[in-house]
Amino acid sequence: MAEAKKARKAMIKIKPKKYKVGDTVKVDFIAIHPMDTGMAKDKETGKIKPAHYIEDITFSFDGEPFTKMKVWESISTNPYFSVNYKVTKKGKITVAYKDNQGEEVLKTKKVKPKEA
Amino acid sequence: MFYKLKQKKNNLKKKGKQMERRNFIKSLMMASAAATVATPSMLLANESAKEEAKAAVVKGPNDMPLADAIKAITDGKEVKESDMIKLTVPEIAENGAVVPVKVEVKSPMTDKDHVKSIHILNSKNSNSRCADIMLTPANDKAYFSTRVKLAETQEIIALVALSDGTFMKAGKSIKVTIGGCG
Repeated sequence: MAEAKKARKAMIKIKPKKYKVGDTVKVDFIAIHPMDTGMAKDKETGKIKPAHYIEDITFSFDGEPFTKMKVWESISTNPYFSVNYKVTKKGKITVAYKDNQGEEVLKTKKVKPKEA
Repeated sequence: MFYKLKQKKNNLKKKGKQMERRNFIKSLMMASAAATVATPSMLLANESAKEEAKAAVVKGPNDMPLADAIKAITDGKEVKESDMIKLTVPEIAENGAVVPVKVEVKSPMTDKDHVKSIHILNSKNSNSRCADIMLTPANDKAYFSTRVKLAETQEIIALVALSDGTFMKAGKSIKVTIGGCG
């Protein structure tokens, strides 16, 4: 099956939506990704689907990494990851991942604390 | 006289219907009994078929049993069970493909005293490693949540590395009704 070389979708969510400097927010990252284990068969062709899963994920704020993850094929398809982050100032959170087939995806979300 | 005959007829009809109902219920009971007797053996057959299927399936490149994974992370250091780790997982996972896992560790998350990493491991998938999360004080709280795939009923373990070089862990068992590995 020929796949269009479009960037895979992913989303960063900050919860709660309203926060101030000094608040600790939840940062959710959801990616559309098959996370194939390399052990499952394709139902149509009967052939084993090659392993295709996210390997490394880096969460950064204004370019400074604050969380790094190494994940494996045991993570569910269309993975969801959530961590906390203490808001220090206005800026941008970036989440970048690389998968075992070399695909790289980068997403950005603005951090906009309400004026206290 | 006719009345009595009619009565008799009605009684017979009633009895007939009763017998019909009784037989029907009996057959139902027998069928369900047969079904319950058959199911365990059917399950067993399923299990052995599963085992065969597992053995025949291609092994992944990241296969690593739990003990090896723990050793690789801790380098053989002592790991204590700790109730400072709050591991939240469902007792029963209806869908083994999407099992929510949440880990919270009591920690001040300061430069001097914080959780360096949380390692989510499983006991029965061919690759026991699910995720390694390297945290920093900027997280402010040692918290991580994700969803994992579990091939069968097994344990999820949260192995935590602290900034002082010590390790602790907590584990919980999850019953998986439908395995999640395709």
